[in-house]
Amino acid sequence: MFGIPLTFAAPLALAALVALPALWVLLRVTPPRPRRIHFPPLALVADLLPKRETPARTPPWLLILRILAAACLILAVAGPVWNPGGIGAAAGREPLLLILDNGFVAAQDWRDRLRAATDEIEAAARDGRPVALVASAEAPAPFEARPPAAALERLRAIKPRPHLGDRDAHLASIGTFLERMPAASIVWISDGVRGVGETDFAKSLGDLASRHGSAVTVLKAERSPALALEGSPVQPGEKLSAQVLRAEANGRDAGLVRALDQKGLPLAESRFTLQPEASEASVSFDLPVELRNAIARLEIEGEHSAGAVVLMDERGKRRRVGLVFGGTLDQAQPLLAPTYYLAKALSPFADVQQPRAGQGTAESIGQMLDNQVSVLALADVGALDDRTLARVETFVEEGGLLLRFAGPRLAAGNDPLVPVRLRRGGRSLGGTLSWDRPKTLAAFAPESPFAGLNPPADIGVRRQILAEPDGDLPGKTWAALQDGTPIVTAGKRGQGLVVLFHVTADTTWSNLPLSGLFVDMLRRVVGLAGPSAKLGEGDGRQANGQAKAALLAPRLTLDGFGALGSPPASATAVPADFADRAGPEHPPGFYGTAEGGIAVNALAPGDRLSPLDLTGLKGARMGSLAGAETLDLRALLFSLALTLLALDTLAGLWLGGFFRGAGRVSRGRAATAALLLPALLGLALVFAPPPARAQEPPANRPNGIESALATRLAFVVTGDAATDAASRAGLSGLSQMLAARTALEPGEPAGLNLEKDELAFYPLIYWPIVAGRPQPSEAAIRKIDAFMRNGGTVIFDTRDAQTARANGPPTPETAYLRKMLATLEVPELEPVPPDHVLTKAFYLVDSFPGRLSTGQTWVETIPPAGEGGERRPARAGDGVTPIIITGNDLAAAWAVGRNGEPLYPVTGDQRQREMAFRGGINIVIYTLTGNYKADQVHVPALLERLGQ
Amino acid sequence: MASTRLVEAESRRPGGAQTGGALALAEVMPRLVLESRRVSGTLAHGLHGRRRAGPGESFWQFRPFVTGEAAARIDWRRSARDDRLYVREREWEAAHNIWIWIDRSASMGFASDLAQTSKVERALVLGLALADTFVEGGERVGLLGLTRASASRGIVETLAQALVDDRAGLMQDLPPPARPGRFDEVVLVSDFLTPLDRVREAVQANSVHGNRGHLVLVADPVEETFPFTGQAVLHDPEGGLSLDIGEAGAWGETYRARIAAHRDGLSEIARQRGWTLTIHRTDRPASEAALRVLTLVAAARGLG
Repeated sequence: MFGIPLTFAAPLALAALVALPALWVLLRVTPPRPRRIHFPPLALVADLLPKRETPARTPPWLLILRILAAACLILAVAGPVWNPGGIGAAAGREPLLLILDNGFVAAQDWRDRLRAATDEIEAAARDGRPVALVASAEAPAPFEARPPAAALERLRAIKPRPHLGDRDAHLASIGTFLERMPAASIVWISDGVRGVGETDFAKSLGDLASRHGSAVTVLKAERSPALALEGSPVQPGEKLSAQVLRAEANGRDAGLVRALDQKGLPLAESRFTLQPEASEASVSFDLPVELRNAIARLEIEGEHSAGAVVLMDERGKRRRVGLVFGGTLDQAQPLLAPTYYLAKALSPFADVQQPRAGQGTAESIGQMLDNQVSVLALADVGALDDRTLARVETFVEEGGLLLRFAGPRLAAGNDPLVPVRLRRGGRSLGGTLSWDRPKTLAAFAPESPFAGLNPPADIGVRRQILAEPDGDLPGKTWAALQDGTPIVTAGKRGQGLVVLFHVTADTTWSNLPLSGLFVDMLRRVVGLAGPSAKLGEGDGRQANGQAKAALLAPRLTLDGFGALGSPPASATAVPADFADRAGPEHPPGFYGTAEGGIAVNALAPGDRLSPLDLTGLKGARMGSLAGAETLDLRALLFSLALTLLALDTLAGLWLGGFFRGAGRVSRGRAATAALLLPALLGLALVFAPPPARAQEPPANRPNGIESALATRLAFVVTGDAATDAASRAGLSGLSQMLAARTALEPGEPAGLNLEKDELAFYPLIYWPIVAGRPQPSEAAIRKIDAFMRNGGTVIFDTRDAQTARANGPPTPETAYLRKMLATLEVPELEPVPPDHVLTKAFYLVDSFPGRLSTGQTWVETIPPAGEGGERRPARAGDGVTPIIITGNDLAAAWAVGRNGEPLYPVTGDQRQREMAFRGGINIVIYTLTGNYKADQVHVPALLERLGQ
Repeated sequence: MASTRLVEAESRRPGGAQTGGALALAEVMPRLVLESRRVSGTLAHGLHGRRRAGPGESFWQFRPFVTGEAAARIDWRRSARDDRLYVREREWEAAHNIWIWIDRSASMGFASDLAQTSKVERALVLGLALADTFVEGGERVGLLGLTRASASRGIVETLAQALVDDRAGLMQDLPPPARPGRFDEVVLVSDFLTPLDRVREAVQANSVHGNRGHLVLVADPVEETFPFTGQAVLHDPEGGLSLDIGEAGAWGETYRARIAAHRDGLSEIARQRGWTLTIHRTDRPASEAALRVLTLVAAARGLG
């Protein structure tokens, strides 16, 4: 309209603008609300009639406000549209057929496509035309024209598909639709890329349209901007390569291909450059095998499309190696086991699996084979039972690699699973009864897989297994000693390979496992293992050994934008040898288990993109995707009018004196309140009071950094004020005593809230039992449990030595403690034996009195003194007793006031208080030093012995 | 533009009900009393002192008997103490009382932002201050139709207490007919926003014996000038009457003419009975009106 990209849906409504001057007059005579004035003399003058009825004039600014609001309303009703869309729209009421390409090629500029489609549908809605929507990558289905709103709903549900679209499949249904709606105008939002194996869809569509007299509009980018990545999911070797593809030269000549691991972390980047007119470029990654094995996908950076992603599957990746050791594994010396050397050497480039401990050799081998290893390493495994032997043979026949290491058992046995015939026994070199020196390795023969490796001169083989000198021995020898005796032999068996190292995998026969050469040799050997050829073995067996490959269910699939997610319901399983490109039923992604699956990519190796040929589409209009955005101004105008009306209401209230209220005080209160309320809310959030802090003095706060800086005694805050005060004073007194008498200078004791505080800082926790308190929560109990397991000691003090009777009912405190400890894993307890290290940790004490002296002190049972062994003055277990239970009310005896005066009387004489302190010091020193003192008590004896 | 407000009914009765009396008294009255004392402290009232012998009841002095006097006047008990004869004189207790009435009706609880305070507060201050000053000057003061006349030093508190207890006074916008004595004086403090006929009746009822009186008209400046403009609805606090006066500026002229006529009428009523009219606006200090009333009272005494 008038050269401005603005149209009105209902231009007639604009006529109402003429009425605005009339509105001006009307508004002028409408008075604002009168003020209300209290006026006592009114009774006197009530007969005075208003003299003049003409109201006050509406203030001009209010008038302008109202006129503006009215104008906005009128304009909004007229339905203005900025940049009206619908390039393909023809006048009339014919339905619109919208064909939307949603293969992965469209994903890159999907937003533009979606906007173009939305604009088209909204334009149709304005013209009142029904819309039919066809997404070319969806499965073809008959369709019909629907109201634009429904089409818009459907459009929102359409997402780019992770595979190429098949437009040909839709021709039939489009034809049917045009039969019914001959004059429908067709808009094709095209991705500009010809699908693989597609015939000339454009020509067919043109024929259909001209037959039915439909107008066709094609909206497409000038040149298809999409880039795609093509590569094989299986790429053995260390070099990864992929092809960057495009349909036609589109100016995007350089970019970055990234390699990501399973978790989406970038591992490597490679820059690619396309020649200006070329449509493909190669990109490759040269990575260490460890990194290369971790790569799960390659993608073009910034190209959010399933086509720009190449998924790498397990077939090109690190081999799984199962290690089985024939001897008994001495768990005490795992570092000397052959499997340790093997695992260390293999783990950089292979996935090492070891059987569960405690199994026999046969079970271990079975477990490894069940785990579908591709390399089975047997270190010094002798004869196998028939069943296992059969399994291993099958494994090798089907392509597995059997890696064997010699050893005493192999040397003793007669084993068919070796590449060469072996002589019984071994050969020792350089031993005490031998003249020879340890032999080193000869250079590798050129035809050996180890060719190119340089054996270091310091490798010495002291013992080996010798092979019978058969005729084919040289051909099977991969490595030999300088005297020509084979040290590594290999033989094919079925599709598989058997490799034998004639030395052990540990250092008893040679120092080969210690050298870097060992790692390189193993790497070469494992590299020879075929891809995990036993995919879906279980399924294959169920199919009664048929040649048909197993089916793999989709595990993770890509969506159109190249993001991995759960597979859609439409995804079906693929055979294990699937090598085609992805399709509607098989979206790209990972199929099968995480260990042995395959990857399906959007593009099969060798696929190339080509531009769409639109010459067959005669008489079609061409449009660009990058049209200006259509903007419906109605919402804007309505909001503006609403705002103006709200302002007008406020102004009316203000003029009417509504905000002034009855008196001076409340003047402007309402208005101010309206303004202040949000501000106050904001302030309230900013100045929210800080959470209340506990009353604990800052230095004593548990979990503070102070807790980690100083060793401190701790007690459990029971909630009983008197008890807690006694605990704190008691531990303070003990701390002072420790500082005065020992090298330990503890910090201020800490009161612990078990529910909240971290216990890890404290070596010793004193827990007075108060019968009336609620039981600690389950979480607190678990926390105490973990504390005790990790070496902490808890003193439970029932403080009931006076009331407890040996055979009487348990006191309330004891009952409480029993209930609490019921769910705790408490070790077997005993009264402190006289030779327990606890009695000798610092002082020599017999008992542990507190305020009371009759209670028994219980600790974890320590192993009894050895029969007949030397009678030791002190015994100790392996660790510190996690639990000490006493009834003597220790803290009360330790408790001192501010001036060091005792706070509570003890039942005995003052000597008892001193003994209580000594006992406390012993307990603390014991928890800190453990059984150290048990060793120290031998020192005189040792010194004496040394002196002799 | 001036704004107006009504003070709450509680402060029109200085104090409160029997229940809340003490509280409200402590809240409102001390301020009023103090203010009254402050105002009366600035006033000098010595013009018609009564500290002399005359007809009365309390002892004043003994004086020597003057020959010719009636022998019955000799105070024999005193005379017996020496050779001379004495006459016992009593203090002159004039039967002249000053009766004050303070309007506390709803219309008095009005204040505009041009005024210093509400009308009722000013009226209470004025009335109590006058009472205090009169007592200082030796007069006996009472509330018209409410209390006895008294010359107590604590007259302000006494009167305030009486006002607090008087709930009916909150409804009356004119004084009750009390028929004061011949030589009594009446001070009516009100806004006199009642029709002239009723004012005239009230004045007549309080001057049946020809006694003198003073009308003190307390007015808010707004009531005099009516400075409003724009659309307005007037609301009467007493009658609950509302009047849409349209454009207030235009209506104001009529109103001012009417209120001037009303005052002329009041003045006429006062003059007819020999009374005086004092117009006091609440934007002026209270002492101004108090001084004028004192002067008028003194002048009346001088005349009488």
